[in-house]
Amino acid sequence: MGGGYAFSRRLLLCIILFAFWIALTATLALYDLVLGAVCSAFVAVLTVALLGRALDPRITPMVLLRLPWFLLRLIWEIIKANYDVAKIILHPRLPIDPEIVEYRTYLPGDLPRTVFSDSITLTPGTVTVELEEDLLKIHCLCPYHQEGLAGLERMVAWLFGVKRHG
Amino acid sequence: MVQDIVAGAFCCVGTFFFLVGTTGLIRMPDVFSRLHPSTKCDTLGACSLIVGMAVYSGWSWELLKLIIIACFVLLSSATCGHAIGRSALRGDIKCWRRKNGVEDGHGT
Repeated sequence: MGGGYAFSRRLLLCIILFAFWIALTATLALYDLVLGAVCSAFVAVLTVALLGRALDPRITPMVLLRLPWFLLRLIWEIIKANYDVAKIILHPRLPIDPEIVEYRTYLPGDLPRTVFSDSITLTPGTVTVELEEDLLKIHCLCPYHQEGLAGLERMVAWLFGVKRHG
Repeated sequence: MVQDIVAGAFCCVGTFFFLVGTTGLIRMPDVFSRLHPSTKCDTLGACSLIVGMAVYSGWSWELLKLIIIACFVLLSSATCGHAIGRSALRGDIKCWRRKNGVEDGHGT
């Protein structure tokens, strides 16, 4: 861990921790702010010293700025999903035709893939049951539920600034 | 007054989705399809309740904490659903299919 490398990462971690501190302490009194700043700086430095790195390298300020918009879109998807699944559940004949489909993602790295599979689990009638390298096994409640996957993948790609190649 | 009504409405929606989620849990045929109502309806149920509470508490610091709680509910629900599905898959439990009709999907 070179001294130059981690400074910006440390600073970013420190800022995230500080924001979390403010949210939890729920005051803007000077004493709490100073204490919070000192604690976050200390934790950030200690984390780098112990783990050798601060955050997943894919977490950049841009990703954090895009996160709220991503979450809003995801929540909208979740609401649509719930309406759909609720309709299926309350339908007298229970019109489901479940199957496990395989899906190859072009997203690189663990973090985007994790976010992708979590988003899939949260949206309409799809649950990720296995994630290995770039292959996801997804349990779909109805065949048409697979249609949303590509759009979701694009959303996650946008969040992490991933360009599709090939 | 209006605040109370809106908050109450969100709580009612949340309760409704919890009810639907529980109904689904009972009606669905196998482990995998049971994951759907439990991860989805319960998530929206919990989130609606949280939104209701947020409206009720008004513009205050509680709002931030409620948002954080909502984030954790979403994260843990997705992760739990994935964990259960994965262990079911690795435990060789067959997925219930419409074509098989009577097969109950308990790995027989």
